[in-house]
Amino acid sequence: MDIILGIRVQEGTIIAASKAATRGISILKDTDDKTRILNTHNLVAFTGESGDTVHFTEYIQANIQLHTMRENDLELSPSAVASFVRNQLATSLRSRKPYQVNVLLAGYDVKTNTPTLNWIDYLGTQTELPYGAHGYAAFYCSSLLDRHYRTDMNIDEGLKLLDDCLEELERRMPIDFKGCYIKVVDKDGVRDITK
Amino acid sequence: MSDPSSINGGTAVAMVGKDCIAIASDLRLGNQSLGLANNFEKVFQFGDKTFMALTGLASDVITLKETFRLKNNLYNLREEREIEPQTLANLVSSTLYEKRFGPYFIGPIVAGLDSKTSKPFICGFDLIGCIDFAKDFIVSGTATDQLYGMCESLYEPNLEPEDLFETISQALLNAVDRDALSGWGAVVYIVTKDKVVKRTLRTRQD
Amino acid sequence: MSRRYDSRTTIFSPEGRLYQVEYAQEAISQAGTAIGILSTEGVVLACEKKFTSKLLDNDGSAEKLYILNDNMICAVAGMTADAGILINNVRVQAQQYLKTYNEQIPCELLIKRICDVKQGYTQHGGLRPFGVSFLYAGYDDRYEFQLFTSNPSGNYSGWKATSIGANNSAAQTLLKKDYKDDLSLKDACNLAIKVLSKTMDASSLNSDKLEFATLSLSKLEKGKTVRKIWKDEEIDLLIKESGVLDEKKDDDE
Repeated sequence: MDIILGIRVQEGTIIAASKAATRGISILKDTDDKTRILNTHNLVAFTGESGDTVHFTEYIQANIQLHTMRENDLELSPSAVASFVRNQLATSLRSRKPYQVNVLLAGYDVKTNTPTLNWIDYLGTQTELPYGAHGYAAFYCSSLLDRHYRTDMNIDEGLKLLDDCLEELERRMPIDFKGCYIKVVDKDGVRDITK
Repeated sequence: MSDPSSINGGTAVAMVGKDCIAIASDLRLGNQSLGLANNFEKVFQFGDKTFMALTGLASDVITLKETFRLKNNLYNLREEREIEPQTLANLVSSTLYEKRFGPYFIGPIVAGLDSKTSKPFICGFDLIGCIDFAKDFIVSGTATDQLYGMCESLYEPNLEPEDLFETISQALLNAVDRDALSGWGAVVYIVTKDKVVKRTLRTRQD
Repeated sequence: MSRRYDSRTTIFSPEGRLYQVEYAQEAISQAGTAIGILSTEGVVLACEKKFTSKLLDNDGSAEKLYILNDNMICAVAGMTADAGILINNVRVQAQQYLKTYNEQIPCELLIKRICDVKQGYTQHGGLRPFGVSFLYAGYDDRYEFQLFTSNPSGNYSGWKATSIGANNSAAQTLLKKDYKDDLSLKDACNLAIKVLSKTMDASSLNSDKLEFATLSLSKLEKGKTVRKIWKDEEIDLLIKESGVLDEKKDDDE
């Protein structure tokens, strides 16, 4: 029931991730951050089996940072990060115990000055999208985003659309997900703009 | 529902014409009933006149696309020439059979023209690499049943490239319209001795 | 003295030297010269073919020049058979990087990977080091055109113009004298021919004794490179146009 949502706009990519950490019928925490920063222009948001999620994303984070160090501070581009993550999940899928982790990767390619949003599920299905979500949020928000998304949106318009999505989710989801952390990845890197 | 080869949906088809071949796929990528993307091409080019289509589990489609790119690139460097459709077919077969007891959930098609004789070649595979050689057409994906019906009724031998394009397009379009997991646009490649033409088809978006 | 310390690659001599590695380097300094020159528009690699015979049945592919991947070529000096093993390895590494990241491997990273293999054989016992030096011409979007060399010890370095193999010090002196930062690819080709014509002991210069390759940017596709291994006729034409044969004649007179 965790929510992660992403919208790509002209100057960057916006990510929203719910704050609630749930287990069974209980909410354990209302300040759970389901995102990790991989490098200056790449942010990953995740949902899935608890335990797997944090372990997997922190493993990815460590490997991306190791690559940065080895390549004297040359950071991997968003598409390279997405391919790497996809490959890890696809390999894991055929292991004894696959990681059950779905991710959204928000990135900004500093070489081409383009923002990206990559959708990857635990099977290793990867696609570059203008907007996307995992889990139930996808069912509630897809049609809303199809109707109101424009390719020429700026950050403020993107945030307004995101608010509409979150309002819909608050109205329709059966449990309180305690609001969302909202983060933006653009030419200046990753920043938290949670209200 | 949890059948891996029909989680993401998608369909492909190849046909033989007179000194030409056509290979086509839809563009949908879905997650069960939810559509994710309408730009997911399933036809890939290996060399001048050799093509491969991959349908099935999208993760495996991507993995195999990358694996065959790797193998093809190394083949090009080693042999200093491009791969023939026949050769690619055998490469696909052996690569899939390596995973006999934990297979990739895909249904590949190989189609192309021989570089020397320009003889058309098409074939399909099951998920563990058994080759299905055909003289007329090969179908694959979640709209397989519908495609068989369309191809059986529309196909005729020795079609010219333009007629082959019309036949394969109508077969694919009308088949995917009866499949909830396929559609959302299509691509068709028409391969003749002197050129390759790629066309994108607009279809119903539901 | 050296007898005691050169039988195994893993043993330092009392002066702190690894004899087997030095012998490998010595073997390379007997091999045909290979030179590389960086220009603003691309990189040129040229090498001298040592063994030529009328009876040799050549399949048309180059002997000492190899394509590594979409944006790198290399020239070999030393034992070609050893080079084959390393080149095969490096091609696979490059393709594996492409598979995991969907991006071409940065030149220096690929070279680092070959050099790790080379270094391994100077340390882990029982085996001899690879008897090859390489000249690499590469392109990537961070540093654009690059020229590197590596030797049997596993060290590598970047250059504007350099040479490996026989007479390499003479070639380097000539390169140092004539290299300019604003060379065009054509100028670099001419310079390569000129230097080779002076360092090779053979009297007449022609395509039988030369191999030539260039790496430049594609005019059709942005960011793509053209890796060209030259045909015999193209080499002969270049030799003719560069005018080194005329100069030679003048020298003789």
